[in-house]
Amino acid sequence: MPPPQPTPKKAVPAPDYKTVKAQWDAAKRKKEVEDVTKKAKGQESQATAELNSDEIKLRELRRAALESRRKKAYQSRWLWTAGFWLWMLAVHVVGIGYFTSGFLLTRLQLDDKSLCDVPPTTGERDILPAWPGKGTVDGGCWHPKTFDRAVVVLIDALRYDFTVPVDDNAAFHNAFPFMYETAVKSPNQAFLRPFIADPPTSTLQRLKGLTTGTLPTFIDVGSSFSGTAIEEDNLLMQMKEAGKTVVHLGDDTWDSLFPGYFEGNMSRPYDSFNVWDLHTVDNGVIDHIFPLMEKRGHWDLLIGHLLGVDHAGHRYGPDHPEMTKKLRQMDEFVRTLASKIDDKMVLIVMGDHGMDSKGDHGGESDDEVQAALWMYSPKGIFGRTKPEFAIPPATAHERPVNQIDLVPTVALMLGIPVPFNNLGRPIEEVFAGPRGNSWSNLAAAERVTAAGIKRYQASYYAARGMAEESASTIGSPADLWNKAEGLVSKGNWVAVYSAFAEYQKETLARCKSLWAQFNIKNMLLGIAIMGSGVLTLLVYVSKGAEDEEAIDDQELDDAEKSLEIMGVIPDSELAVNVPERKLVAAAFLGAVPGLIGGALHAYLRGSGDYYRGAAMAAITSIATVTVSLYEIKETLKTLVPSTLWGWMAAVFTLSQSIGFASNSYTIWEDSILMFFITTFGFVTALSALRIQSLPDRYMAIYHSVLFVVLGRLASSSKLCREEQMPYCTSTYYASSTSSTSALWQLAIPFAVSLILPTIIKAFLRPTRSYEGLAPAWVGYVFRAGLFMSALYWVLDAADNGDWILNLPEKTLKNLSVYNAQMVLGLAFVAGTTAFVWAPPCVSIVTSASKATPTRAQVAILGYGNAHGARYLLLPLNFLVSLILLSKPMGGGALAILFWQILSLVEIIDLNSLSNTPIGPVMLAVLGSFHFFKTGHQAVLSTIQWDSAFIPLFTVRYPWSPLAVVLNTFAGQILATVCLPLLVLWKSSPKQKGLLADISKKLGIFVAYFAVESLATMAWAGHLRRHLMLYRVFMPRFATAAVVLIVVDLVGLLVGLTGARVNTIAIGEVFGWAE
Amino acid sequence: MPLVDPITMASAVSKKGAASQTVTVESSASPAAETYNLLPVSINQAPLAQTLRHAQPLLLSGALTLVFSSLVKDPVATMSSTTLPLTAAVQAAYAVICLPVAGRGANDTAKKTKPRPGEKVSKKKAKEGGNNAYVLAALSLLITALVTPFIYITMILFGAPLLTHGSHTLLCAAHLSLLGLFPLFYVHGVDASAWAAVGGFRAPLDETFGGLVGALVGAWLGAVPIPLDWDRDWQRWPVTILVGIYGGYVLGKVIGGTVAWGKKF
Repeated sequence: MPPPQPTPKKAVPAPDYKTVKAQWDAAKRKKEVEDVTKKAKGQESQATAELNSDEIKLRELRRAALESRRKKAYQSRWLWTAGFWLWMLAVHVVGIGYFTSGFLLTRLQLDDKSLCDVPPTTGERDILPAWPGKGTVDGGCWHPKTFDRAVVVLIDALRYDFTVPVDDNAAFHNAFPFMYETAVKSPNQAFLRPFIADPPTSTLQRLKGLTTGTLPTFIDVGSSFSGTAIEEDNLLMQMKEAGKTVVHLGDDTWDSLFPGYFEGNMSRPYDSFNVWDLHTVDNGVIDHIFPLMEKRGHWDLLIGHLLGVDHAGHRYGPDHPEMTKKLRQMDEFVRTLASKIDDKMVLIVMGDHGMDSKGDHGGESDDEVQAALWMYSPKGIFGRTKPEFAIPPATAHERPVNQIDLVPTVALMLGIPVPFNNLGRPIEEVFAGPRGNSWSNLAAAERVTAAGIKRYQASYYAARGMAEESASTIGSPADLWNKAEGLVSKGNWVAVYSAFAEYQKETLARCKSLWAQFNIKNMLLGIAIMGSGVLTLLVYVSKGAEDEEAIDDQELDDAEKSLEIMGVIPDSELAVNVPERKLVAAAFLGAVPGLIGGALHAYLRGSGDYYRGAAMAAITSIATVTVSLYEIKETLKTLVPSTLWGWMAAVFTLSQSIGFASNSYTIWEDSILMFFITTFGFVTALSALRIQSLPDRYMAIYHSVLFVVLGRLASSSKLCREEQMPYCTSTYYASSTSSTSALWQLAIPFAVSLILPTIIKAFLRPTRSYEGLAPAWVGYVFRAGLFMSALYWVLDAADNGDWILNLPEKTLKNLSVYNAQMVLGLAFVAGTTAFVWAPPCVSIVTSASKATPTRAQVAILGYGNAHGARYLLLPLNFLVSLILLSKPMGGGALAILFWQILSLVEIIDLNSLSNTPIGPVMLAVLGSFHFFKTGHQAVLSTIQWDSAFIPLFTVRYPWSPLAVVLNTFAGQILATVCLPLLVLWKSSPKQKGLLADISKKLGIFVAYFAVESLATMAWAGHLRRHLMLYRVFMPRFATAAVVLIVVDLVGLLVGLTGARVNTIAIGEVFGWAE
Repeated sequence: MPLVDPITMASAVSKKGAASQTVTVESSASPAAETYNLLPVSINQAPLAQTLRHAQPLLLSGALTLVFSSLVKDPVATMSSTTLPLTAAVQAAYAVICLPVAGRGANDTAKKTKPRPGEKVSKKKAKEGGNNAYVLAALSLLITALVTPFIYITMILFGAPLLTHGSHTLLCAAHLSLLGLFPLFYVHGVDASAWAAVGGFRAPLDETFGGLVGALVGAWLGAVPIPLDWDRDWQRWPVTILVGIYGGYVLGKVIGGTVAWGKKF
């Protein structure tokens, strides 16, 4: 955001445009004197001339006063307009927030804890005879304990296929053979099975599942950046209750989830979000774990969480030599560690989730949920109930284990109670006995776990005030439970075991669907707020379209201005008369009763849902605003498009939004957007045939063709989502299993730095606007910024690929980060300063007049595009930084986007379409299209987290999230920043009503995203039971919601503010038009 | 205000000021450009022509229905061996029998007073080929073939596969050209001003122009079902586009020739 505008009263330091103003004033004064003397010539009297010179001075003064009044009026109007947009932002935030609060799944957390001496089993008959120390931690609380100590090694993102032999040469295969080998060689000492995560597959959510045994819900996914402590009963809590010592090494997410649980002297947490760093965490764990293995009396549970594999995936993608190295290191590590394990210990090695083909995770695709689980103990107690289970499954689809199953397994192995909320079941291999036939042991473990589940379910239903399904329904959990209990007395342990397993399976399925329960009321309220907000926006946009026609009469304006200078028109004419003022007042007045009513309602009902106050405030506020809009003689009829262009805008917006009801159209959104872009270019090319002036006609056709061809060119940059396979080939990275750029892609940013400034110059030249600061800024500073961005990606590639040997460590990383910081400084600090202080892109030339050679003629080059050419400097600053923060391919796409925007502006101008909504809508379509072309999809896993480390070494707030946002929404942000160009391009300083026009255009632009947000919201709510909800509809809604907020913010903070700065600078030089 | 007026604004290309002014000046100065109106094409009144006029849509849609299953199975073979030659024959016969020859008939009367560059060409054409409808039909077919690559490129720009399915797209483009453009080439020749009117959508609706608009809209809408994950064979490229072209052409031609005849956008 630009710094506050200095008031012109402060003379030092004078903005640069003052010098131009001086020239301009001098020219005017000269002219004035000339005029007066000419007038005076007719009259002989000397006195008249003197009178005239007095009159001139008086006029000067009056004009100065008028200018300052007009400026004040402008600033006041701007504030009201900004107020309106702030209100709009608030409406959007409340609508989205309210819908989200009902849509994201919530699960009631119970505070109950399992107790060692209170087993959940109630039947008269126990399966196992009483064992020594029953009911105590020493003997085993609910089941005879197997091990004294456990070492848990969590290798983040260890996908199942990394650990089993696969017949190919992929970098991620066959590099980690140890676990498979031991499981095959000595099945009694080890087993290896696929380990299926419940989505969302982010580490924080997984750790919750792996320790509490319950299903994490989506509401937690946002807290991944700052984990919050787990309050529910969990394994670590049980260990702590039992007086055991827990030691933790590695990923510091554990520390935030389990504060105060770990033995401080021995534990070593490490920063987990620095994905560029493959080795610090791993080396820390490996260095510290072996000394601890020697001090085995000092701890009972040792957790080591390694992040190298995950980071290698994020940074390079799985198919990279670094991944091979990392997996080999893990192999070596586990091999050595296993040799230190004794008979009383168990070693558990597992992944918390997998990774997709590019090394990212978060979603629920197969590759993301399939992790590996390996247990090892030299005691040799692991068994297989069938001989064919001896060899680990070849793929993760066979014999998978749920990740929550680890919880009862570990609890029963170590003799502690199973956490209260657990929904998992014991893992067969651990309890089946070395020969795989100890069915009574299996049945007992399964039964006690199932009893725990039953107890938990009863508490949960009681807490929610709901009734459980009765046992009379065949197949209900209660029915299955009774059947299983009935079998216990018969002593057929195989049947008992499978009956309780059946019960657990059914209950888990019920819970999964139960916790997919939505708060329909909140969702509907959210949709209602968004819907009425969109409607208000549309009414706002469509209003007053006819008022604008009368304004642009140069002579009338001049006459009016001179009348004002003469003092004929009183000041009152200039009083702030701005519709937004009325709207803002209505918004606040309307919000108050809603806020009070909602809060009062929450207070009286005791529901504590004070958030509803905000929702009610939004609704009443929208209502009053709509009413006051209606007062300004607006009808909904104006919303129906009346021209071909209006219809195109409506079709592009609505068809897309309707299409979001179908997963296919959501998946193929990028192709559809290109189809719209081409359609627009095709129609404008045909429409250009109607332009009378031949040069204009050819220019219009040229720009239309260019617009389309550039769009098609950009479409070659693709990052396919899983569902697009096999009809899509990713080109964004070097290969589909990598997240680094290919060598040839590094050339793209260099080409951009060579070509793009020249193109911008070519767009400025026809209006003679390549004047003032433009040549220096576009030709040198902008080009240098682009070149440095290109250099950054070369340094980055050199660092990744170890191109230069024998360099001290981190030299390249340091260089690249400082380089990136310089680019951002250049763009945002120097760029903003330049934008605020820059003179208009005009040049004043004095030459002899052609008609009367004796008279001097003053020409202003670039006058006709004074507003647009100057404003252009602002998007350029954003463009440089966005290109830096996008990958090389994305930088190319953004350069194309900018070129297309300039073409679009020309097309709109040449075809005289500025009064139609098609301009802002196409700009929005372009921005959305390039969201996909900069390597993104509407899924969580395509967020390029590593972009946080382009300008920084470690995570720092708020810069890291900001960098990720700029990377993710680069397309939409650039489009939003360019929005004022639709109005300002080829606007001369005499143009009136620019602010109102920009605000309207911004309204149409935001309406596109608001409609999209509303539609995805409505569809996600409607299709909440759809199979693809979390794969397609929910992520699309989340994307649309965030995009809308980002567009609102950028539109207000950059677009409107930039336009204000620009208008003031132009007004100071050429006088105030409005 | 006299203070500012005399200062020459070297490049006053202001959006609503100078630019729009020049437009109005031009349109009032050269009324010929505005009054140049194409008249809608009338179909020959001969009984054979009237019969064929009504039979042609049935023939086209019937043929497409008949070969539809083989079209789905093997689009390239079916299009090149069956539909393309058949459509070419039907269209040529329709043009020769039903449509007025370029440079003759209805649209000639629209052009008057000033000789225009486009007119010269068509006059010449009328002299050479006007009497021989067959030659003209052959010439029009040639032009139709020549513009096909441009339609192919347009389809690529709309998102047709760039590196694969080349013959699919090219054949599809040939169909669009044959259905939508061929009748217009036959009636207008290469009269630039007529084509400017057609391209700018200022031509009056008739069977030829209506057919073109219908075929374009049909081709556009034909893309709609492609992304759906229904896994149907008929979603194969370019079956839906081709069906859209045929359907749109038939519909546009019938509407343009009857209800909307003579109307303008």
